[in-house]
Amino acid sequence: MVHGTMASLRDPSFVKALGEHRFRSIEDASSERTSIGWVTPMDPTGETFAAEDLDFDAGIWLRIRIDRKRLPPAWLGIHRAKAERAAGRPLTLREKRELKVELEQRLLPRILPGVAFVDVIWQPASSRLLLFATSRSVKEICVKLFGETFEVTIEEAGPWQLAQESRLGREQKGYLQEVSAVQWPHAKGSTARAAPPVIEREAGE
Amino acid sequence: MSNPTDYGFLGEEFLTWLWFTLETEGGDFDVDGREIAVCMDDYIAFAPSAEDETEQTLRKGLPSRSSVAREALRNGRCVRKARLIAADGAREWGFVLDAATMNITGIRLPADSEEAQTPRERATERIAAFTELQDIIVGLYTKFLSVRLTPDYRATQGEAQANWMMA
Repeated sequence: MVHGTMASLRDPSFVKALGEHRFRSIEDASSERTSIGWVTPMDPTGETFAAEDLDFDAGIWLRIRIDRKRLPPAWLGIHRAKAERAAGRPLTLREKRELKVELEQRLLPRILPGVAFVDVIWQPASSRLLLFATSRSVKEICVKLFGETFEVTIEEAGPWQLAQESRLGREQKGYLQEVSAVQWPHAKGSTARAAPPVIEREAGE
Repeated sequence: MSNPTDYGFLGEEFLTWLWFTLETEGGDFDVDGREIAVCMDDYIAFAPSAEDETEQTLRKGLPSRSSVAREALRNGRCVRKARLIAADGAREWGFVLDAATMNITGIRLPADSEEAQTPRERATERIAAFTELQDIIVGLYTKFLSVRLTPDYRATQGEAQANWMMA
C-alpha cells in the first residue's frame, strides 16, 4: 500500500520524477558497481519516459532495471592460481588485494553487467503497488526507489494490512486489534478422537 | 498486540480455513458477485505447531488427500503455503500463496484471449488478470475474516474446524 500523495500520470511532474531517478548505464565502468533506476517496458535504456508507454487500463506499468557489474569469481580464482604458481607460494593478503584491483581495472571494462528487470504496477485508485518479485532485497530496492522518486512511503500488505483495507465493518476491524492465534487441538501422543476445546493463545507465545 | 508483522498467524489460519471450507462446503465462492471455484493443488507446506518443530512440505499428486496431511492437521498444524487453483468459468489461475506474508508466487495466469493481438494488448490483459487474482485472494480473505473476527468464532466455526482437523 502506498501512503502519501502522488502526482497523476498526466501531470508532467510524474515522468519528470521518473527521469530524475532513471537508470544510468554502467556498461563501460571499470570498477565493481550496481546501478538501479527506472526504465519503461518499451524503452529498457531509461532514456525516455512517455506517459503513453506507462498507461495500461489496469494501472501504471513501471519497470526497475538493476545492473550489477562484478568480476566473475572464477576468473579471479584462475588468475590467483596462476600468480601463486609463478611465485611458488601462496599469495599474501596484500598481494591478493593488489591482484584483485589490477584484474578489475584490466577486465571489468570488457565485462558486461548482469541485467535484471523488475516490473511494478501502480494502481492509483486503490493506492496499491504490485511488485513482481518476492525477494527481500528486491522489495527493499523497490520501496527505496519508489519512495525516493515520488516522496511517498510504502507498507507491505500482509495479513494485518489487508484486513485493515478490507470492507469489513468497524466492529470487526476493532476486533482485529484483540485477535490472537488459535491453538488448534493437538493429537500427538494421544489416541483421543474427540476435539478438545479450541483456545486462543497470544501471538509469540 | 500492536505490531502488524505479528499477524502472520491470521494468514495461516486463512489458508487452513480455506481448505476446511473446500472440504466441508465445496469449492465455490461468491467473490464480489462472481462465482469463483477454488481447489488445492499439488503443494502444501505446514507451519510448525510449536517452535521446536520443523515446517513440513508435501509435493506432487494431491497432498490434501494424503494421510500425512491429515496427520499434520491432527497435530494442530496450520497451512503456511499452498499451491491453489482459482477459476472464473473457463479462466484459471494457478499460484502459491505464502499465508504469513500473503505474497503470491509461481503464478500461472489464464491464457491470452484471441482479441489480444499486439504485445501491448497482451500485457494489458496480463496485468488485468494479475489484478483479478489479487482481488480474488482479497475477496476470499475477507470472507474468512468476516467469520474469524467475531466474538463467538471459537464456539462456532472454530469448533467445527477443530473437529474437521481432528477427524
